[in-house]
Amino acid sequence: MRRYFLLVASFSLLLGLLITAWQESRHPKPIALTPTLTGQVEYCLTCHADLAEISSSHPVNTFGCVLCHGGELLALDANLAHSTMRGGKNPSDFSVVLASCGGTNCHSGTAENSRNHIQRVTTSIQATYAGAIANIRYTFGVQPDLKAVLGEFAIRVPESTSGITELAAFNPTQETNPFVQAFGHNCLTCHLSALPLTGSEYIRYTGCSACHTPTQSPDRTDTEKLQSNQIHKLTTAIIYTQCDTCHNRGNYNLRTMTFEPRQDLPIDRLHDYYQPIAQFTSCEWMLDCVDCHTRTEAMGDGNLYSVKKDIQYLQCKTCHGTLTDLPQTRTLTDPNDLAFRLVLLNPVIDLNLGDTLLITEKDEPLWNIRVLPDGTYELFGKADGQRYVFRPVKGSACLQDPDRQDSGSCHECHSVER
Amino acid sequence: MSNRTLSRRDFLKLASAAILTASGLLGLEGLFRFLNTQTEPLPPTEFDLGPASNYPPGSRKVLPDIPALLLHAQSGYSAISLVCTHLGCTVESKPEGFACPCHGSRFDPQGNVTRGPANKPLRSLRVEVTSDNELRLYTN
Repeated sequence: MRRYFLLVASFSLLLGLLITAWQESRHPKPIALTPTLTGQVEYCLTCHADLAEISSSHPVNTFGCVLCHGGELLALDANLAHSTMRGGKNPSDFSVVLASCGGTNCHSGTAENSRNHIQRVTTSIQATYAGAIANIRYTFGVQPDLKAVLGEFAIRVPESTSGITELAAFNPTQETNPFVQAFGHNCLTCHLSALPLTGSEYIRYTGCSACHTPTQSPDRTDTEKLQSNQIHKLTTAIIYTQCDTCHNRGNYNLRTMTFEPRQDLPIDRLHDYYQPIAQFTSCEWMLDCVDCHTRTEAMGDGNLYSVKKDIQYLQCKTCHGTLTDLPQTRTLTDPNDLAFRLVLLNPVIDLNLGDTLLITEKDEPLWNIRVLPDGTYELFGKADGQRYVFRPVKGSACLQDPDRQDSGSCHECHSVER
Repeated sequence: MSNRTLSRRDFLKLASAAILTASGLLGLEGLFRFLNTQTEPLPPTEFDLGPASNYPPGSRKVLPDIPALLLHAQSGYSAISLVCTHLGCTVESKPEGFACPCHGSRFDPQGNVTRGPANKPLRSLRVEVTSDNELRLYTN
């Protein structure tokens, strides 16, 4: 056998070299990109040149791919190139978002210039789910009150002004009450870190992309792209169907501690609401959720809260005023006004210095709603750009009780039949 | 003339030698390619802009490949970088100055910040007229 050893070894060596050369020849000719921001060559476009630009704020020539996604910037082998990507296909997942999207010039800037998006959203009710956890634990006698003490993940916010400065991580397996255990296992499917339920109507990413990457078209038929992981887009023009991947999908059964999906098939926008007995006004079903609800309501203000009501504050009077007061407004005099930055991201309205906008009770600009010279208001839909004109309550024949400003009171007269 | 036949042993030796030679050549070729690998060139920092006469007094010429704006004023040639000082997007030249399409920064015609998030002015770039009356621009 020894006499064959040299021949076999030589042949093996040649075969190995040939295989290596063959594999090498299969690699495509690299397409190099040197992003302005990093100055480092990356070869991602060799395979991904046809990918659409993710947003006008993140041009690939400036950012490249690796800065946000991670990965091996010079690898031409797909497995190697993708081996160190952050968050797989979703670098906005909260487990990696700080490394992917953070930075003082990016999305973890200071609260002073409203650029602390990551800090705000990771402390928000939608991320921590703290209110629901506290509510269930209180209901079953596990905690003495409704104050949030546990969240989807542990988080400390020493500067929180809400009275809650930290949350410990909720771990269902450490709970003794079987209902709380079941809640933990069955009902935590909608917070921003949770993987969605199975079904096309639930399809969304996690983290920032849960809302900002559109996976649901109005007719709910355009989910093929997501299933093949081809959606490469970030937007603030968030259509209501994206919100509906969590909201309006069904109810939680508190006896069985299971999620019960809605059984009906909505046929239009009006019937998308899952509560059959609830009342709605025109704006609640004609507009998209983001047309009224502000960034702070959705993404939090950096404080930890126990319940949605602590952070969701818009009421009908925010836009319509009352019998005695017009809604609050602000005339744009500062070119650095937040409204200009927000409209840049979604230019459905042409804002100029001197324009008067509606603002909320917390001084947030409703930048898509402008005061017209005749005292009415024009609203531009953030998702579809459609223009609506509406009047203030003041001076109208409305018979509202100024002390009753909850939406339910307004619905008594203004609900839509369906 | 002898009628030699190749013994089995000789054949094996010959085959091994041939295979080893081929392997060696392949390995050398790989080594040669490795040693001759061209690294990606660094972005250029000097740009020949052609004859100065192409840029008459009073002209403002956007040079998209750099990117920069070349100005020919009475005081001579000057250039402003069109790379936004916030995150590096290319700003657009407007009548009132410069605007960044990515994040909304605004700059006056001299490149000074008039609206954030950028907080530094656009960079001034050096422009030289060579002895043969050509313009050369430096970005470093």
